[in-house]
Amino acid sequence: MEEKDWEASSSSEEEAGFALDDDEQFHSGPKLQFRVGSSKARWVTELAMAEVEVKRGKLWTTTGVIRSGKTYCFIEEALYLSEIGELQMLGSEDDEVMIPLKSLYEKIAEEKSGCCWESYEVYRYLKGLGYIIRRHGVPWTSKDAAITTPSGECFKDKDDVTRLLEDMQLCDARAVFDVYLPTSRFKKSSPGEPSFVACFSGDSPPSKEDVKVLQSRVATSLMFCHVAQGRVSFFSFNSIDLPVLP
Amino acid sequence: MLYMQLHSMAPRWKWKAGSLSSCNVLLAVEPEQAELLDRCCFGRLVLSAEKDKKWIQLSFEEAFYLLYNLKCIKIYLQGRCLENEVDTWMYMKSQRPNFPIFFKAYSPLRSKNWVLRSGLQYGVDFVAYRHHPSLVHSEYSVLVQSGDSNRLRVWSDVHCAVRLSGSVAKTLLTVHVSGNSEKEDLNLPLCLENYRVEEQTICRWSPELNREDETTNPKPNATTVSDLKPV
Repeated sequence: MEEKDWEASSSSEEEAGFALDDDEQFHSGPKLQFRVGSSKARWVTELAMAEVEVKRGKLWTTTGVIRSGKTYCFIEEALYLSEIGELQMLGSEDDEVMIPLKSLYEKIAEEKSGCCWESYEVYRYLKGLGYIIRRHGVPWTSKDAAITTPSGECFKDKDDVTRLLEDMQLCDARAVFDVYLPTSRFKKSSPGEPSFVACFSGDSPPSKEDVKVLQSRVATSLMFCHVAQGRVSFFSFNSIDLPVLP
Repeated sequence: MLYMQLHSMAPRWKWKAGSLSSCNVLLAVEPEQAELLDRCCFGRLVLSAEKDKKWIQLSFEEAFYLLYNLKCIKIYLQGRCLENEVDTWMYMKSQRPNFPIFFKAYSPLRSKNWVLRSGLQYGVDFVAYRHHPSLVHSEYSVLVQSGDSNRLRVWSDVHCAVRLSGSVAKTLLTVHVSGNSEKEDLNLPLCLENYRVEEQTICRWSPELNREDETTNPKPNATTVSDLKPV
């Protein structure tokens, strides 16, 4: 698959000599099969994120966030990479004991790590197609990392408190992911504007008011996701003004 | 345009009389007037053997628009002329409870010179054409929404309406009529004075189809969703 090629192939020195067999990993059965030398990350319960300890592959240019020079990833990112055999997740206590996939699924189901199952389905679907995704409003790199981040420039982010207060405005719909079109030139230090923001409106389609409220908070196009029986659909609800015709 | 044309014909037009029935208004006109109405896309010609007179069948919305907005017809009910527009409104409302809300959606779009026809065969309320239906296909399939309407309330409705529209190459358009509820005055002239319509398109997007690789076009800025073709 096209997008897997650019994502998994890498020029990094650790990679040389490994035969990639992505298809096999994708369709692997209940047993986990990992590419020899896959990345490793350690789950940090307090942060509800995993700290990446060993990076393998170019995939980290489009996954995870950088804070003070270290790379962290959210549960959806960790789960996805684990599912495709690119990541081994380690527990907080024991050094080398791997957290099984089952536990990662449980973390999603518990909804305590900021991602629910529907969100994960959207993440997995788009990520598998090569899109670049991050949680809405979370900067790729933080200000503190200015000195130590290898990527250079800082990403200016909105004040967290302001954002939290805005989010409390009554609205059934919520913005979940910022989505960027697939590109091999993506840079966390200057990602540009996302193509759209993936939103959820709950059990029903968004009301006109909810679309308005959400659009007033978000500068880019909105795409509402509907997840049902493992199928993900995307709908846009755009206000238009029919032109006056001659 | 229609307004001016009809009024320039005024002496000959002579306030055409439309007879109101339970579901439409029948208008008898001269052949050239029939042609004019056809050019402006009002009504349907009723085929008949009569040569000097043409019968045009108008929907309630079309008839009321000609009556109230363009002021170029008069309405007769059972032979009696309804001088007051309110009477026509009330009668139409009694025959079709959704007439007021449909008219509130019809009128502003028609005023922008979009042609609205029945959308029943496409499972929607109206279809909207940019030009004469004989020249183009309709662009939008229109669903009328008011504040308390239960159209498109569940996701399967959205999937269904969008899919239906897409299969006939139309974009789904919802027209939200604001400030309308059962309890509000649905009577003229009040209800046609201060209201707003807001148009909204609903499109389905397919992520498989729009993933241009930007290596050949190195712009860090994103393609906006409006550039992405709906499915």
